[in-house]
Amino acid sequence: MDFFNHAVDAVLKLYFALFSWAPPLVGLTVLSAAVGVGMLWVVGRTSNQARIRQVKRKVAASLLELRIFADEPAATGRALRSLFSSNLRYMGLALKPALWLAIPMAVLLVHLESFYGRAPLTPGREALVTMRMAPGWNPQSAPPRLEPPPQVQVTAPAVRALDSREVSWRLVPKSAVSGDLVFTVDGTPVRKAIEAGGRQHFVPGRGVRSTLATLWSPGEGRVASSAVEWVEIRYPDAALELFGLAVNWVIWFFLVSIVSALLLKKRLGVVI
Amino acid sequence: MRLVPAAAALAVLAGAGCSRVATQAAGKRMIVLGVDGMDPVFVQNHWSELPNLNRLRTEGDFRPLATTVPPQSPVAWSSVSTGMDPGGHGIFDFVHRDPATHAPISSMAEVNEPGRTLSIGPYVIPLSGGSVHSRRAGKTFWQILSENRMPATVIRMPANFPPADCEAESLSGMGTPDLGGSFGTFSFYTNDPAETRTEVAGGRIVHTPVTDGRAVLTVQGPANPLRKDHAITSIDLVAHVDPTEPAARFDLGDRQFILRQGEWSDWLRAQFPFISGLKSASGIVRIYLQQVHPYLRVYASPVNLDPEEPALPISTPGAYSRQLAQTLGPYYTQGIAEETSAYRAGLLSKDEFLVQSRKVLADSLRMFRYQLDRFQTGLLFYYFSSVDQNSHMLWGHYDNDLLEIYRAVDAAIGEAMQKAGRDVTLLILSDHGFARFDRAVHLNTFLMREGFLTLDDPANVGDEEVFAHVDWSRTQAYALGLNAIYLNLQGREPGGIVQQDEREQVAGQIAARLKEFKDPVSGLPVVGQVYFPEKEFRGRNLKNAPDLLVGFHRGFRASWQTALGAVPKLEVEDNTQAWIADHCMASSEVPGVLFSNRKFRVASPRLEDVTVTILHEFGVAPAREMIGESVY
Repeated sequence: MDFFNHAVDAVLKLYFALFSWAPPLVGLTVLSAAVGVGMLWVVGRTSNQARIRQVKRKVAASLLELRIFADEPAATGRALRSLFSSNLRYMGLALKPALWLAIPMAVLLVHLESFYGRAPLTPGREALVTMRMAPGWNPQSAPPRLEPPPQVQVTAPAVRALDSREVSWRLVPKSAVSGDLVFTVDGTPVRKAIEAGGRQHFVPGRGVRSTLATLWSPGEGRVASSAVEWVEIRYPDAALELFGLAVNWVIWFFLVSIVSALLLKKRLGVVI
Repeated sequence: MRLVPAAAALAVLAGAGCSRVATQAAGKRMIVLGVDGMDPVFVQNHWSELPNLNRLRTEGDFRPLATTVPPQSPVAWSSVSTGMDPGGHGIFDFVHRDPATHAPISSMAEVNEPGRTLSIGPYVIPLSGGSVHSRRAGKTFWQILSENRMPATVIRMPANFPPADCEAESLSGMGTPDLGGSFGTFSFYTNDPAETRTEVAGGRIVHTPVTDGRAVLTVQGPANPLRKDHAITSIDLVAHVDPTEPAARFDLGDRQFILRQGEWSDWLRAQFPFISGLKSASGIVRIYLQQVHPYLRVYASPVNLDPEEPALPISTPGAYSRQLAQTLGPYYTQGIAEETSAYRAGLLSKDEFLVQSRKVLADSLRMFRYQLDRFQTGLLFYYFSSVDQNSHMLWGHYDNDLLEIYRAVDAAIGEAMQKAGRDVTLLILSDHGFARFDRAVHLNTFLMREGFLTLDDPANVGDEEVFAHVDWSRTQAYALGLNAIYLNLQGREPGGIVQQDEREQVAGQIAARLKEFKDPVSGLPVVGQVYFPEKEFRGRNLKNAPDLLVGFHRGFRASWQTALGAVPKLEVEDNTQAWIADHCMASSEVPGVLFSNRKFRVASPRLEDVTVTILHEFGVAPAREMIGESVY
């Protein structure tokens, strides 16, 4: 899983670097449009286009029937039943491409969160890093030792939250930094990347121990110590701006991809 | 003390305010700085420590400034705002009384609840808007300037809540409530078994267990205006206490932060839900971790109205408070932000109070510098509260600490002098000075001893408020507020026993006795002057004035119990509280200051002159009701 995550991130980092000259929204827009085209292609390849075309014609006919025979209750009822069943059939036909798209889209979104969802820490501003310990942790034991990079200062003692098995540290990056926090847990070093300052860039999320959980928390390798469930820095949300307005990257991603798919469906001969 | 049912206040949500129209004045410029409580004797004793004020008096001018009767901030600043005495603007004290119930009410603002509502289950939906009104009558100088298309910015003028409707940029000051509708109610959380109190003046003490290192601190918000029961809204702040280290992690929603013992948090934004996911009120709060071991002790500031989303109108135009917050970050919106209440209650030490009050001053200076930087034309009025609030707690005992506050304000005045240069008129004023408050006078007990007030049972003396045991059928007069005495007047008070034609005689008798009133311990006279409002004031609101106003000698002041209508056992007793100085005395005892970078023409200026001076500087005629004259 680590190899897969690193491979995806490496590709995305390369893509991100291509647009380093522009605001992040530019690269995201191009990527979203491309994903829209890709989704269209997947739909075209995995769905029964002839049946979809037929069902859509049936829907159109039912709607027409509703308008023409509005004053004939029997015909209206028949048209409504037909409309309902056609819609069910349409949803059934859309299920297969949706299933084909679900996993790759989820993986893509989880990885893109590291590029567009989180912002690097601001130098001079406090942040927390929290480590969730594995069950069986002795809360009375000394907290793990933390060694930050030289640009980062730890400004308060580690606080152990007994009820949630968490240990938190307060950090202040003094300047821009792209490095590792190194924790020593029962003699085992555990690394957590820390990003502060500079433009919007790759900011990995939670580092986790479980292999399955790395699917949803990519960006860093599995946590090396079995005494740790996860370790996380609370990064601020990235602020993507469009004409001065803050834009949520996920909404923008789906908006652009759907619009591009709708614009190009005829040209690519795909019925959706 | 609740100003109003907060539920009603918050039902008024938004709306008030006015749109700013770009105006171009004819290049007139004036900066007026209001420094609440700056004392003329203190500054005269410290000229060498206050270089900018010293330079201002040598290059310009300096005079003591006659204050109002009574010398209380809402009264005095209302006179500055309107150019009228209390008979005109109608503010006679911090608190007024409702003649129907004798209960204290805010003198500064009132709330009208929505007229029509729709009930749905436990909810009540307002169909018509409620409103919040300032009780101050009269037109303010910045409203008049706006009408004459003179740009004006007025920041934190006291008794300007809700802000006077106009095109000027303004931010409300003293009198602005917290989100709960009070003048400011802090919360203090502890598991210390030695702390047995649950309520103190201006705050509540919440006994909070710490289980497995976890404590849930319930931060109270406003009463829910959309519920029939007006249940108090709240949010949970979870504290995770480290088992050995003097530090804790706090979780508020999805925000987490760590505080070491003795540290203050930044402003935290909190949403108090009225209907989950649909409607809420936004507030900002600061946390102070006083102690971690052996007992947790956490202070939470009053929840201030969020300037980015104020639940009540605090600025004109309405969006101005948000604009300031987006530029400067969150800031105190509560009218009186210095935490004197927790210090008085012994929950914060003097040093902790000083740290907090310096944060308030730093917050104020940040906004002041922003306003000064952008000031181009017209009028800039800026108000500083720090000298006043710190004088209350430091005067006469901790002069070096107080001098530090004076110095900080002096430095700000220096910045204003630099901005003003020779072309801009600069005026610095305070509303009153200061004096020691050594002896607390229980005016109701004095009235009882003199036979003007009778209890249902003489044994029922004590600190119970709102005249709990007063026999109104045998009571001619009662005291409420910090200087006011009211007659139990027939036709005005329910069951009043003083006939209209006896009014003058009874008031005269009380005044005579007050002048003979001696401190039973020292034998010193307690009262210097007694004022008859009809002789002192003029204006349409004279009918709402107290019947007598008491001007104490220096060292004496009405007790806190008097302010809220209690009748304790003794007439005078030592003031043992941390609130060691005051100004609610005879006006002649506590004049304010007036500085300018120009010479004064008037030898003995008074507060109402400031209003006319400002208008005069802009070539605008004062309103007919204004009683002052230009000092230049």
